[in-house]
Amino acid sequence: MAVTVRFLTAFQDLTLSKKLFLVEGKRLDQIIDELETQIPGLKEKLLDSEGKPHPAYQMIHVKGNIQELCSKLDCPIGDGDEIVITSLISGG
Amino acid sequence: MYGFQGTMLVIDLGEGKVLTEDLDERFARNYIGGVGFGVRLLYDRLTPRVDPLSPENMLVFASGPLSALGFMGSTGISVVSKSPLTGLIGDSDLRGSFGRNLKSCGYDVLIISGKAKSPVYLELTDGAVEIRDAADLWGKTTAEVQSTLSHVNEKGLSILSIGPAGEHLVKYACISGDVRFFAGRLGMGAVMGAKNLKAIVMKGGKETPIADPQGMKDLIKQVHYEVLHDGSCDTLSKYGTWNNIGPSNLKGTLPTKNFQRTTFEKIDQIDGEAMLNSISAGDRTCPGCPIGCRRVVKGEQPYRVLPEYGGPQYESVAALGPTVLLGDALAIAKANELCNLYGLDTISTGVTIAFAMECREKGVLTPKDLGMDLKWGDPEDILQLIRMIAFREGAGDVLADGVRRASEKIGKGSEEWAMHVKGLEIPMHDPRGKKGIALAYATALKGADHESAMHDDVFERENALPELGYVKPMGRKEYQGKPLLVKKTQELWGILSDALPICKFPMAPPRPLTPGRLVSALRLVTGWDVSLEEFLRVGERIFNLGRLFNVREGADRTLDVLPDRFSEALQEGGSAGEMITRKDLERMLDEYYNYRGWTKDGVPKEETLIRLDLKNH
Repeated sequence: MAVTVRFLTAFQDLTLSKKLFLVEGKRLDQIIDELETQIPGLKEKLLDSEGKPHPAYQMIHVKGNIQELCSKLDCPIGDGDEIVITSLISGG
Repeated sequence: MYGFQGTMLVIDLGEGKVLTEDLDERFARNYIGGVGFGVRLLYDRLTPRVDPLSPENMLVFASGPLSALGFMGSTGISVVSKSPLTGLIGDSDLRGSFGRNLKSCGYDVLIISGKAKSPVYLELTDGAVEIRDAADLWGKTTAEVQSTLSHVNEKGLSILSIGPAGEHLVKYACISGDVRFFAGRLGMGAVMGAKNLKAIVMKGGKETPIADPQGMKDLIKQVHYEVLHDGSCDTLSKYGTWNNIGPSNLKGTLPTKNFQRTTFEKIDQIDGEAMLNSISAGDRTCPGCPIGCRRVVKGEQPYRVLPEYGGPQYESVAALGPTVLLGDALAIAKANELCNLYGLDTISTGVTIAFAMECREKGVLTPKDLGMDLKWGDPEDILQLIRMIAFREGAGDVLADGVRRASEKIGKGSEEWAMHVKGLEIPMHDPRGKKGIALAYATALKGADHESAMHDDVFERENALPELGYVKPMGRKEYQGKPLLVKKTQELWGILSDALPICKFPMAPPRPLTPGRLVSALRLVTGWDVSLEEFLRVGERIFNLGRLFNVREGADRTLDVLPDRFSEALQEGGSAGEMITRKDLERMLDEYYNYRGWTKDGVPKEETLIRLDLKNH
């Protein structure tokens, strides 16, 4: 199960400016665990103190033209799908 | 009275009179400060239907109770006047230290009326007000004014000025603050120019009393700690508002090619990473803010851009970039710099140029009409047209009046692609992908304003803003729940932030300036036993009084509309298929008016006015 994870204006310090990662996983939590092995320290920033997605970021599940916001960690992710991790838009 | 100097400075430039008036504490508590003071004063003192560019119009610079503090942008000021662009109430907030400096001169509010016989500038110090000759400054750019007047005094002075655009009464001319901060929207610079007022210099040394200085110090310390450690402001600190560019493109809300679409093929050349790695020259901050969101830029070839003149923030990048199909970061920075030097609002300038480009594309305007080819994305033509607008040269003259008036003059169907609400050009968030922002654009007091209500994206998660009752998530594309959300956040984020004043960015969830903390700050500074309920009611009162001002000027439901282009479905990107038909908007308006306590025509009902202590207006 290969999933592409794209970092968009987020965590470039941790990823050393790399934007695309290929990871294995069927659910968002598995993908984040896998990402943590490639990007140490990411999980602590991406999740809040209760282990939920940090509200300052959004993880958007992209399936072709369809975008869905991942609000829970058990969000199922399909083979070939893309997850975009990006900062929350809060106004200009 | 804590939090205030207790004095308003009133200057009639026509008569050369300088007066002071006491600031009443009851008035202060009912309207808090900033935009609240401005709206109340203009409602009381301005003759209805007055020409915004006539001597009778007034220009109000109003600080608030937090202005004397170094607390998350609280040192800013509101500039309020009848807008020459919309003919309605207009306000524009200016960050920097201008509110603090006005207070340090001994005044909470500066009211300017009349028209000087020849160009002048004002010099305010604690204890003296001088109206000085500005003949030598007339015609100068904002940077030249800054450079000239910086010699008037030593360190610590603030300079507000207009550029050539304000002198030429460009209806979206801005006021520059130290060439880095701008009261950008609604043509406040044109009002200043119409009064022959080129600049205001402020430097004082008066302290403003604080009711509980230690309590306030502790609150500031706690908020600053959270800003630096809770992760909520990390991307804003790193990228400034450029953190919005990529996500906006992804979600299909980035205005592109005059709102014909919402994704930009050259996004990789102008997103946050690209800007940071190409033209960034560091960040600047407002006094007392640990975020430091303001980016400055530099460049040499082919465009020389200097960091002293600020840098394009998100709105400016989008308006002078994707909206006109320009994908060159340095050229965008140069266009932004020209707007700053000439004193033009970047959003209105970008949208107006895009309007002209679409006129050219559709054959409504020819290269002969325009004096240039003006094809989409041509940097040289864009830079030239900015100058022509600022100086009202050639085709720049008609474009200097904004897209509403320009389309009325040009005709030939161009109204169809004149992107404005109530005459104010649409800012850089396509409302088809954010239904709350659609309603906010339609109903904001000043026309299409991106800072009038919190953005839908913020409410896509649980517990976004529990103090206002927002615990369940709402999708950004959904209609349900948006009318009440818009009403509540128009009052909190749109109005009260500009009354205190405080920066809106740290107020946007999940950032730490919660409504409760704002109330705490107000209590600590003023000593008032104000509750959250009273605080929010002040926001509602100011909003309704602003609506009454607009109703008096002839506004009603028929102006609460969006351009027809938004009733066409987007064809691609993260908001593909989204649109807002007139019927959709009318349905939201019905619900919104009901929550507001307004009639079907959009006029506040008597019981609403009684509830808000506005019975006698």
